[in-house]
Amino acid sequence: MTRQLGALTIIALFVGACGSTPVETDSIELSPMADTSSAAVLSVACSGCHGPTGGAITSLEGRSSAELREALLRYRSDADGGSVMHRMMRGYSEADIETISAYLAEGVSE
Amino acid sequence: MTTLVPNRRDLLLTLSGTGLLAALPLAAHAQVRARLVIIGGGFGGATAARFLKRLLPEAAITLIEANPEYYACPFSNLVVAGLRDLSAQRFSYDSLKAEGIEFVQERATDVDPVSRTVTVESGRALTYDKLILSPGIDFRWNAIDGYDEAAAEVLPHAWKAGPQTGLLQQQIQDMKDGGVVVMSVPPAPFRCPPGPYERASLIAHYLKTHKPKSKLIILDAQEKFSKQPLFEDAWSSLYPGLIERYGANEFGRVIAVSPSSRTLSTEFEDVSADVANVIPPQHAGVIAHRAGVADMTGWCPIDPIDFRSTLQPDIHVIGDATIASPMPKSAFSANLQAKVCAMQIARALSGEAVEPTTLTNTCYSYISDRKAVSITGVYTNDGGSLHSVEGAGGLSPLNADPIVRENEALQAKTWFRTITKQTFG
Repeated sequence: MTRQLGALTIIALFVGACGSTPVETDSIELSPMADTSSAAVLSVACSGCHGPTGGAITSLEGRSSAELREALLRYRSDADGGSVMHRMMRGYSEADIETISAYLAEGVSE
Repeated sequence: MTTLVPNRRDLLLTLSGTGLLAALPLAAHAQVRARLVIIGGGFGGATAARFLKRLLPEAAITLIEANPEYYACPFSNLVVAGLRDLSAQRFSYDSLKAEGIEFVQERATDVDPVSRTVTVESGRALTYDKLILSPGIDFRWNAIDGYDEAAAEVLPHAWKAGPQTGLLQQQIQDMKDGGVVVMSVPPAPFRCPPGPYERASLIAHYLKTHKPKSKLIILDAQEKFSKQPLFEDAWSSLYPGLIERYGANEFGRVIAVSPSSRTLSTEFEDVSADVANVIPPQHAGVIAHRAGVADMTGWCPIDPIDFRSTLQPDIHVIGDATIASPMPKSAFSANLQAKVCAMQIARALSGEAVEPTTLTNTCYSYISDRKAVSITGVYTNDGGSLHSVEGAGGLSPLNADPIVRENEALQAKTWFRTITKQTFG
């Protein structure tokens, strides 16, 4: 669990440290949410920051729901964390995180 | 690509066990042939148009916007400080047009909620089934005595991005070393609560770098302000002695200006400026008042479950024009409100119930050319109003390592790229 969160963080820091801007393509989706299920409405808040190209904010594409859930729960329970994600996840229940992780994982099975 | 072809996720959902439930609403959505009109092509309106087109492919979506292109406010303080080109703030509506959204480049002049009609400047009338108003702010001209549209050409507000941004940048660049820049901050509520203090930080960065004998005075109608401990820490550590701020209880509120002498007057004294940035008091965009969706406060009360107006039927209001506190008047808020509003409209038009959900906001503010701080919030929209979720949200940590500030600046850049791509394609 720690390792996976670490991996997410390292990706973010690595790209940031290089100062590189990922090549923008026209394949950026408006958002992954083309439906209006409760899960889609709950998860749409993530799309304001997490675009497919990533950069200093990690792309969520291709991540399994287990990977997402563990990272989000770790943010939620880390009382010393000061990042945007730490501050945000404290406002979500475990059930919310379960729903969001499953929705964003785009059907990737655990 | 935004296409009408279901994406991989939709297909997976349709094939999976839970997908059966999700597929039914999608089929219902395809039957909706409503006329949906959006006024205002900013982070709220353009996002709403694109989302509605995606969710309701057979509906007629019309976006009414007076300007041929959009200048984004987020990151425009970097332009003011000479750290970014104004052209990086400009976005076209070409993608929206290509997606099948009718773009009416005209000023909306009136809304009749009874006949459900919007009138535009040329006299054309557009009938709607649902109207989304995302008009942003307009200025209360002359609320500060002497500050009108002509005065803004001398004492720029730069609070709607575009030529005003360039004008303020040019004035600061042309100022002599040893000059005095004066900023006037209005009483809340106004667009972008931390914006004036980000601007102060970046102007201070410019002055320290290029005109070190100069000074920045903030005349502030507010007593407390957004991200205050973070900004004050940045000012004392990065720009010691450069910024002087007078809050409301130190007679900071500007009540009158004289463009000819570049003087700003508080109740206590007259302050002479070499460059003056007057951010005027604000209210919801004028069309909201014409539509009857603004109340005595000058802003628009809404039910945040789907951002419907509480004053007029079949009209939704999103973005800076709304009364959505504690959700701030930010691009992030407008963009997310647009998505939630569009999704709930699609649900309602397809015969589904609207449901409460959780919303968020994140605003980054630069404190120097390479450092930024942030504020976040988490909100629920149940029960007719927005509430902050207790124990969540808040500011970047105080006294953090510089790498934390530098990382948040990098995150801010990614956020800007993502949200503008989502909004404008």
